[in-house]
Amino acid sequence: MTTLAAPVSTSASGRSALSPMRLVRDTRLLTWRSLRAIPRVPERLLDVTVQPIVFILLFLYVFGSAIHVGINYKSYLFPGIIAQGLAFSVISAGTATATDMSEGVVDRFRSLPINRLAIITGQVMGQFCEQVLGMTIYIAFGIALGWRPDLTVAGGFELAGLLALGIFAFIWAGVLFGLLIRSPDAVQGLGFIVILPLTFMAGTFVPISGMDAIPRAIAQWDPVSAFVASARSLTTHLHSSGSFQLDHPQLAMIGWCVVLLAVCVPLALRRFNRTTAA
Amino acid sequence: MTDIAIRAEGLTKRFGDFVAVDALDLQVPDGTVVSLLGPNGAGKTTTVRMLATLIAPDGGRAWVGGHDVVRDGARVRELISLTGQFAALDKHLTARENLVLMAQLRGYNGRAARRRADELLERFDAGDFRDRLVKNLSGGERRRIDLAAGLIERPQVLVLDEPTTGLDPRSRQVVWSTVRELVAEGVTLLLTTQYLEEADALADRVVLLDRGREVAAGTPAELKSRVGEQRVDVIAADGEAFGRLEALLWEHFTITTLPEQRTVSVSAPDEVADLARVADAVTQAGIPVDEVALRRPTLDDAFLALTGHTAAESEKAAGADGADSDREPEEAHA
Repeated sequence: MTTLAAPVSTSASGRSALSPMRLVRDTRLLTWRSLRAIPRVPERLLDVTVQPIVFILLFLYVFGSAIHVGINYKSYLFPGIIAQGLAFSVISAGTATATDMSEGVVDRFRSLPINRLAIITGQVMGQFCEQVLGMTIYIAFGIALGWRPDLTVAGGFELAGLLALGIFAFIWAGVLFGLLIRSPDAVQGLGFIVILPLTFMAGTFVPISGMDAIPRAIAQWDPVSAFVASARSLTTHLHSSGSFQLDHPQLAMIGWCVVLLAVCVPLALRRFNRTTAA
Repeated sequence: MTDIAIRAEGLTKRFGDFVAVDALDLQVPDGTVVSLLGPNGAGKTTTVRMLATLIAPDGGRAWVGGHDVVRDGARVRELISLTGQFAALDKHLTARENLVLMAQLRGYNGRAARRRADELLERFDAGDFRDRLVKNLSGGERRRIDLAAGLIERPQVLVLDEPTTGLDPRSRQVVWSTVRELVAEGVTLLLTTQYLEEADALADRVVLLDRGREVAAGTPAELKSRVGEQRVDVIAADGEAFGRLEALLWEHFTITTLPEQRTVSVSAPDEVADLARVADAVTQAGIPVDEVALRRPTLDDAFLALTGHTAAESEKAAGADGADSDREPEEAHA
């Protein structure tokens, strides 16, 4: 018969749970754990892909004929859809975090001698992979529909880098949001009320210049506008203008991401540790 | 002198105005089993969550293996293993993947983790459902995997929070036998339960909690002697039979009666032997009865005897004070 309790010798207890190596290792293990959920909870990936696809179809084939933007509407729309998807990652990361925190397994992780930071970083990395996968799917869908981004190799790398930074920043914002609100339903509900209008006012589907004074003023400073304008200026010859961030969308986008990360990362970690003793 | 595995002094936790744990003192000597007994809202879960460093106390101090739970949480987590009231498993992973992950997080490499997971699956007789997703397991199966996940390494201190609440009697027996084996191997155990029977079966010492305070403590035998002993309840078939029953049993035994329930309670210090004697007497006299049963004192009996109010009243009071159980309101569980 096997003894119930294993000897303590194989343990990692000799090493400090706070060492950076432990953080990397624990993050990797917990990221793997998040990724295993993707094929097993297909509705989560559907959340990330179906919505952009519905917007693509609606705007391309229902509203598109009435929108005149000076270039082919397909080329105009897709950068907007990508930026909108990016913004929605706040909601999916927030929902995933709130769901995770409401389940007993996080208590188990917290009671283990691991680097507790890894519970959050594992969550962020898992979300990152999920968002990238979702984005790949709807970009592929766009290409299948005939979207041809006017992209140089350098521009492609720049776009990929900006998107990665954007997803990363928005996921951290979502993690903080999820930790603060705690109820997955409330995160989803509140998220849509805030994020959906911001993504619509950001010049995503129609030019900001044609908007009424109030939405135009909001759009000129809406962070999502910087994302839309960045993606659009890299994939078309259109260049936005009207405010500092629309004149310099890439710079503004990097700025927004840095601000989001600088605010959300420490607050999220503090919030996560607040209910814990050490 | 024996070493003290868990020590708490004046441990206190408030949630808003609600005092979940109120200046609790606790000592669990090495290698012993101590049970925190009490109804919902008594502060059991909050206490063990503070000891396992999951929440910070608002007052008092606690040490596990000599390490302060607030200042030295990382060391405490190396010694303690908590299995909570709700299965702490990833429901999207299989039973085996969960155990492998927990082992890896404890520092095992992939191969050693898989080997340890397989040992535990075998030990917990979980081979049949090792590759099923946790979300598809029954409550009893989940609890077994949950216990296994807490035993990847031999913990010096094992904390089980209501390990058998909601389990069928068979799964309860599996949990009890597992716990007994661990204790035989020298593991120190702090157990919370709502069942007096469970505390009696497993614990060396029982601490009865009510509204975050200790109301009584002692060995199960001491506590039971204060609560009242076992009894045989005989329920007469009708009013006439009840009269005859009372007259018959009064002659031979110490009895109390509950006329409204047509019940005669016979004190039964010899347990089954007394049950047999009572049953014999009733059968020979030919009195029609609905039920003859040996009753053990329940948590309710203990509460009534030791606190002067019922467990349900205490639960209600805890609820009225703003907490529906002894979990902190902020922490929702699935």
